[in-house]
Amino acid sequence: MASPGATILEAARSAGITIPTVCYHDHLTANAVCRICVVEWMGSRTLVPACVAKIQPNARIYTDNERVRTARRVILEMLAATVDLSEAPELQTLLAEYGADPHRFGSDAARREHGPVKVDNPFYVRDYDKCILCWRCVQVCAEDVQFTFALGFNGRGFETSIATFFDRPMPETTCVFCGNCVGVCPTGALKGKREYLAAQGAPIGPR
Amino acid sequence: MTTSSSVSPTAAHLHLSPRQATAVHAILRRYRGKGSAYLLPCLHDVQAITGWLDADLAAQIAESLDIPAVQVHNVIEFYALFYDHPVGRTIVRVCDDLACYLAGSEAIVRACAAHLGLDPEHGGTTADGAFTLEIHPCLGRCEQAPFLMIGDEAHGFVRPEQVPALLGGEA
Amino acid sequence: MTYQPVLTARLGKIDPASLQDYEAAGGFQALARAVELGPKAIVELLREAYLLGRGGAAFPAGIKWKAVSEAPAPKYVIANADESEPGTFKDRILMEGDPFALVEAMLIAAFAVGAEQGYIYIRGEYPQAIARVQHAVNTCYNAGYLGRNILGAGFHFDLEVRKGAGAYICGEETALFESIEGKRGFPRLKPPFPTECGLFGRPTVINNVETLLCVLPLVLRGLDWFKSIGPEKSPGPKLYCLSGRVHRPGLVEAPMGTTLRTLIYDYGGGVSGSGELGGVLLGGAAGVFVTPEHLDVSLDFAGLRTIDAVLGSGVVMVFDTSVDMKAVLRRIARFFRHESCGKCYPCQLGTQRQHEIVERLAAGRLRSGDLLALREIGQTMRDASICGLGQTASGAILSAIDRFGFDEHTGRFLRFDSNW
Ligand SMILES: Cc1cc2nc3c(=O)[nH]c(=O)nc-3n(C[C@H](O)[C@H](O)[C@H](O)COP(=O)(O)O)c2cc1C
Ligand code: SF4
Ligand code: SF4
Ligand code: FES
Ligand code: FES
Repeated sequence: MASPGATILEAARSAGITIPTVCYHDHLTANAVCRICVVEWMGSRTLVPACVAKIQPNARIYTDNERVRTARRVILEMLAATVDLSEAPELQTLLAEYGADPHRFGSDAARREHGPVKVDNPFYVRDYDKCILCWRCVQVCAEDVQFTFALGFNGRGFETSIATFFDRPMPETTCVFCGNCVGVCPTGALKGKREYLAAQGAPIGPR
Repeated sequence: MTTSSSVSPTAAHLHLSPRQATAVHAILRRYRGKGSAYLLPCLHDVQAITGWLDADLAAQIAESLDIPAVQVHNVIEFYALFYDHPVGRTIVRVCDDLACYLAGSEAIVRACAAHLGLDPEHGGTTADGAFTLEIHPCLGRCEQAPFLMIGDEAHGFVRPEQVPALLGGEA
Repeated sequence: MTYQPVLTARLGKIDPASLQDYEAAGGFQALARAVELGPKAIVELLREAYLLGRGGAAFPAGIKWKAVSEAPAPKYVIANADESEPGTFKDRILMEGDPFALVEAMLIAAFAVGAEQGYIYIRGEYPQAIARVQHAVNTCYNAGYLGRNILGAGFHFDLEVRKGAGAYICGEETALFESIEGKRGFPRLKPPFPTECGLFGRPTVINNVETLLCVLPLVLRGLDWFKSIGPEKSPGPKLYCLSGRVHRPGLVEAPMGTTLRTLIYDYGGGVSGSGELGGVLLGGAAGVFVTPEHLDVSLDFAGLRTIDAVLGSGVVMVFDTSVDMKAVLRRIARFFRHESCGKCYPCQLGTQRQHEIVERLAAGRLRSGDLLALREIGQTMRDASICGLGQTASGAILSAIDRFGFDEHTGRFLRFDSNW
C-alpha cells in the first residue's frame, strides 16, 4: 500500500506499475513539464501528472487507457518532430512503445535548431539541437543543488531555449564547472568534452 | 525543413548620453537591495530612459537588486515589452488581431509599413531609428477597431489614409 | 431594457482624476458600509450572493475570500487587470473611467480577508489605465484611504500598481504571482491553490477587476438586489465586450444571462457587413464559436455549458457571413503560438504544430492526416497542459471546424461566403 503523501508515480512503482517519465528525476524538484506521466483520475477534468499529483484514498486512476496513451503518443510525436533524439535511447524506446509517428507533421515541420555545438570550455559541450527543455540542468545549477545560476532561458513558447546570461560563453558566466548539469541531462545535449571529441573522431580514427 | 528563428539577445552595446547615465544611476540607487519583486518595475523604469536593455545594464540591475544576473536575462527574454536590441524612439503597435482584422487592420498594417518603408509581415525598425513597427496581438480596444498605438498614444477607428499624418514627417 | 447599470454608472459622468467627483457620485460609501458590517459579514454576503469570477474561470469569489479570511497573515489581495484575452476591453474602460472604484473595491477585499498589502497588476499596453489608477492610488494615500488606520477603523492597507510587460500568460493567476515576484511568467502547478499558497507563498485573494467592482453595489444594495439580477446560478450584473461586425460595438452592461439576440440586435444595432449572421466567438481566443442557432441561449456561465460554450471574460465577437473564417483561425493559432509560455510540452509544442496546420488550412493546402493531427493535438493540449492557456488553445479552432461546416475537400466553411 502506498504511504500517505506519496505521489501517484511512487504509489504505482511500489505496486509494480510502470508509468513513463521524461523530465522527472528522483533527486530534483518535480516541475512536471513534460506531461508524459499523465494518468486519468476519474472525476478530474484533465489528466493529471503522476510525478507530482498526490495519491488519495479511493481515487480511481487509469495509468494506461486510451486517453492517456493518446496524450503520451502525441507529446512524443511532437517532441521527436522538433528535437534531435538520436542520443536519447529511452525516448526512442518510448516512441516505439507508443507507436509514435513523428513524420505525421511533414518534413517541413519546424525543428528547434541552434547552430553548431557550443564548445567553449575544457569540460563539456552544449548541443542544444538535442535539448528537450526538461529543465534539469537549470534546476541543478540553481536552487536544487548548486546555487550558481549560470543557466537560464531565452525566448518563450516553441522558441524557448536554454541560455546563459546574454548568451555568453560558459567561462564568462558564473559557472563553476561542477558538471552537475552534464550528469542530469537525459539526451546528450550536454556532454563531457572528451566524450564529444571521441565521438567526433571515431569515424576518421584508425581502422 | 524550416527552423525556428533563434531568439537571442544582441551583443550590441547601448551608448548612453551623460543625462541618461545619470538618470539610470538614480533609478538603480532607488532600487538598491530591493530584491527580486522589484525587477519588473526596475526594468520598466530603466528602459523608459534607455529604450532597450543591454548586457551591461542587465548586470547592473542584477547587482543593484541583489539577484542573479541570469534572472534578469530570463525576464528580459520572456516579456514582449522588454527589448534586448535597439528599437526606434517611437514604437508603433498596430493591432492585427480578430476584431481589428474584421475592421480592416490588414490595410492599416500595410499603410504603416509602406509609410515607414518596413516589412508588413514582421514590422521592424526604420534605418534612422525613429520608429519600430510591431504587428500586435489584441490591444484591448476592440470597440474602436481598427486600432493602433503610437508610443503611449491611442488611435481608434483608424483609416489607412490617415496613417501618414498620424506617423508624421519624422519617417 | 429596464436594467439600471451600476458598474458603468459613473463612466463619462465624473472626472476620473477627481476624488471629490468620485465621492459626490457615491464613492467610498460602500467602504463605509463594509466597515459597519465587519469582515465576517462581508465574506458571508459574498458567499450568499454567489458572485462568480468575471475573469474567465467563473469560480465563486466568496469561497476564495472565506478561505483567505481564515488563513494566517501575512496575506495579499490582487486585482487581475492583465486583460489580454483577444476581444476583451471591459477592465480597461472601468479603470480609465472610474479608477477610484477599483481602489475602493480593493480596500473592501483587504478589510474583509485581513490583508495589509495589495497589488493591481495592469497590462503594460494600457498606459492610460495605469496612469489613472496610479493617480487614484496616490490620491487615496493623501486622503487617508490608504496607509495606516484607514477611516479610523484601525486597519492598514498598502496598495501598489504593477505594470505588466507584454505576456498574455501573466493573466493566469499563478503566472501573475511569478511576474510580481520578478520571474518569467511560468504558471505554477496547482495544487496548492492561491488561497493557501499564492503571492510570496502566502494566502492570496486574486480577482478580476469586474469581479471586484461587483462587490461595491453588492455591499451597498444588498443581497436581494444582487440576486434579483440574472439567473439564479450565476447572478448579478455583467459586462459584455461586444465587437466585430455589429453596427455599434462597445461595452454593454446588462444582467447576466442576456441573450445573444438582445446583445447583437438591441445593443449592437444588428449585424454589419453582409448583414447576415455567420457566427459568434464567445470568450475570446480561449473561447468557442457558436452559430445563429444559439441566438437565444442565456449568456451566463451555466447556460452556456449546455451548448459546450463558455462566457470566459465576456467577449461577444460577431462575424457576418462575408468574413474569411480562415484568416480568423490563422490569427487565433498565431496568437497561441506567440503567447505559450513554453513550460509544458503539450502547449509549447502543440501551439506550434497547430499553427502550422492552420496555416495550411488557410492556404487551401491541407494534407491528408492534417485534420486528425489537429484534433489529436487539441485533445492533448486540453488534457495534458499545465494551465488554461494550453487547455483552451484549440477550442475555438476546433469549434469553427465542427460548427461552420468545414469542407475538407474544398477547404471552405459552408456557413461563410467563399468569394474571397
Ligand atoms: C492564459 C490565461 C490568461 C488569463 N488572463 C486573465 C486576465 O487577463 N484577467 C483576469 O482577470 N483573469 C485572467 N485569467 C484567469 C485567472 O487565472 C483567474 O482565474 C482570475 O484572475 C480569477 O479572478 P476571478 O475569479 O475574479 O475571475 C487568465 C487565465 C488564463 C489561463
Ligand atoms: S540541456 Fe539537457 S538537462 Fe538541460 S534542459 Fe536540455 S535536455 Fe534538459
Ligand atoms: S499550458 Fe502553455 S502557457 Fe500554460 S504552462 Fe503549459 S506551456 Fe505554459
Ligand atoms: S515526468 Fe511527470 S511531467 Fe515529466
Ligand atoms: S482586436 Fe484589435 S484591439 Fe482587440
